[in-house]
Amino acid sequence: MAVSLKQSSVATRESRLGSVTGYSGDLYDIIHQSKCGTLKNKERCFSQSSTCNASCSLGQLSGIRDIAIINHAPSGCTAMASGTDVINSQLATKRGVTNATVFVGTDMDEHDTVFGATGNLKDIILETYNRYKPKAIFIGTSCLSGIIGEDVDSVVRKRKKEIPEDIPVATVHCEGFRSRIWATGFDASDHVILSSVVKPPKKKSNKINFKNFYESARNEIIELFANFGVEPVFFYQNATIEELSELSEALATVNICGVLGSYLGNGLQEQYGVPYVNTVNPLGVAGFEAWLRGIGKVIGKEAEVEEYIKTERVKYLDKIEEVKKELKGLRAVLGMGPGYTYEVARVLQELGIEVVWAASWHHDKKHDSEELPASLQYLDEHSDYNFKVSVADQQNYEILNILNEHKPDIYFSRHPGTTVWAIKQGCAALCVNDEYMIFGYKGTLDFAYTVLDTIKNRSFEKNLAARIKLPYTDWWYKQNNSTFFDGEGK
Amino acid sequence: MRQIAIYGKGGIGKSTTTQNLTAGLASLGKKIMVVGCDPKADSTRLLLGGLSQKSVLDTLRDEGNDVDLDSILKPGFQGIKCVESGGPEPGVGCAGRGIITSINMLEQLGAYTEELDYVFYDVLGDVVCGGFAMPIREGKAQEIYIVASGEMMALYAANNIAKGIRKYANSGGVRLGGIICNSRKVDREHDLLTAFAKELGSQLIYFVPRDNIVQRAEINKKTVIEYDSEAEQADEYRALAEAINNNKQFVIPQPMTQDRLEEILIEFGLNG
Repeated sequence: MAVSLKQSSVATRESRLGSVTGYSGDLYDIIHQSKCGTLKNKERCFSQSSTCNASCSLGQLSGIRDIAIINHAPSGCTAMASGTDVINSQLATKRGVTNATVFVGTDMDEHDTVFGATGNLKDIILETYNRYKPKAIFIGTSCLSGIIGEDVDSVVRKRKKEIPEDIPVATVHCEGFRSRIWATGFDASDHVILSSVVKPPKKKSNKINFKNFYESARNEIIELFANFGVEPVFFYQNATIEELSELSEALATVNICGVLGSYLGNGLQEQYGVPYVNTVNPLGVAGFEAWLRGIGKVIGKEAEVEEYIKTERVKYLDKIEEVKKELKGLRAVLGMGPGYTYEVARVLQELGIEVVWAASWHHDKKHDSEELPASLQYLDEHSDYNFKVSVADQQNYEILNILNEHKPDIYFSRHPGTTVWAIKQGCAALCVNDEYMIFGYKGTLDFAYTVLDTIKNRSFEKNLAARIKLPYTDWWYKQNNSTFFDGEGK
Repeated sequence: MRQIAIYGKGGIGKSTTTQNLTAGLASLGKKIMVVGCDPKADSTRLLLGGLSQKSVLDTLRDEGNDVDLDSILKPGFQGIKCVESGGPEPGVGCAGRGIITSINMLEQLGAYTEELDYVFYDVLGDVVCGGFAMPIREGKAQEIYIVASGEMMALYAANNIAKGIRKYANSGGVRLGGIICNSRKVDREHDLLTAFAKELGSQLIYFVPRDNIVQRAEINKKTVIEYDSEAEQADEYRALAEAINNNKQFVIPQPMTQDRLEEILIEFGLNG
């Protein structure tokens, strides 16, 4: 269904996009089942913990500068505040700006649970405004406020009248139990921005909306875009409410991750006609070129883009071909969110590395464009061979089982700690931590060199694994990695 | 579209009244949807000719693409669309959260279509937590009718419910449209209910007499209008429908103290 801003609560990925967290099969099968709609979720009878969508949505929004997040929740849910403070101060300093965003919580206790806490919330909203004078206030909901049925929307509606009109005050519906998929949190943050911050366009700017995580390639991209007479606006980290209110005036929206960008990109297109460049992401040569061409087409600079591509290819393509010779024959396993697993798999294939197994943390049957995610579409058309695919919901024991069975040369992952386990099991691993690690020709070349460095000397992994006892039993390594799916296993 | 919520003491006859009243509205040519907000899921039995098979919450585990609105929204008597929220069995889970989740899902599935004249929410008896007030939040029901009788407990409950309504009325647009008396043949019931309603600042919008034909129709899984269209009771329900359809009096209720309620009961409730 289309992006609907009339409801205060965004529909979960499970219900909006048919997303699942359990599957084991292969690429052709998952694409086929996604297209014809037969893909059904597999529940696990045993699961380690995953990630809460509330931490995702509030984490995203808390990167915006000079705002206030009020988490209507027990104190534990607000523990993430210290982490966001650190990220905010470091990334603001890196860019040479300040970020005065505050992250507070309403500290709901047993009394609040029994008698309701909207009275406190009302007072806290006003106090937060008076104390910090934020440029916007977003009130997050929690499992607790959701279960007792706190009518946060009407509290916010009422309090808004006592705060200057130009300060957006809105609820972010992100109760943890609503969705198993953290990306629902991305959608919740996009939903609140689209419905309470973005204003109808007053003019057309020369900006390109760039949805990403931490803008580490900021300067590089500003330089790149200058070639075409356009400017990127990165968000949400380090963005201002003013910049976000003008998203509707941009020439186009692009993203570094299809999962991250789906709701907002399609939303801006539907509501304000801002074209959403929905190609594969700019990782790898083919990806970067498709992405650039997509932008060129939308901003009417196709010729300039071709010229740029021609020049850059001369600089990098030969070098990439050289490294490819040494990467030939390598076998890899990946474990990342679907926004990256399929994209990096594509790059690995481009570099001549064999993809043995791609595990993604969840799987969207389609994106808000109502189409198959671009990265899957690409693999459908270009992957010469089928490879194993599973939807592993961040279950580490499944990954280590896969690594043990298939013994790849290298494991790629992206989230803190994930590659450490592989290394401790004796498998070389590369953490594709920064979202721009493989960006563009230069990033692809650097990435290729890094892969080479990683596998050239594997004594570290071997020596470490020989001295560590992992918590998995021999029994587990003999099982199929999807043993704990309901209805599966021996 | 008028969105109406029906509240009242458990067992007072909300579901019976709602279904019979909507049958009356349907005879006036109105397009109606009835949303059952009771975990017992028995709010549409008389309109569907049996208990609803699949509730909104039953679909919670289905993948998004598989949820077919037609499988939970069924046409009943005179094309009245019927849907049940569903919810947990007695003693487990949280029915209040169930109502919140269910109404959100109905919105997301697009159940609220343009051509509907009326949406009725039949809500479980005691509004014991935030979830049961979901139907009267902003953007949902703007009118509430409380079903009561001359029995003390029914009036006590009605007064209590009025407190909840007042809270939501003060911050939003919802209003009390009136009290519907579902007669229990209590002494001076009509006078008592009229006085009670007046004290709340509202009106006794209709007095539905007690008649066993209602029970006979229920056992046959029908509303009275369907069971025996010529019966006097059928006319009563049609008149109730007219009264609701034409109602213009919407107020913020003024709940009374326990002492005042007991005074009224003594004054009107005892014969003589």
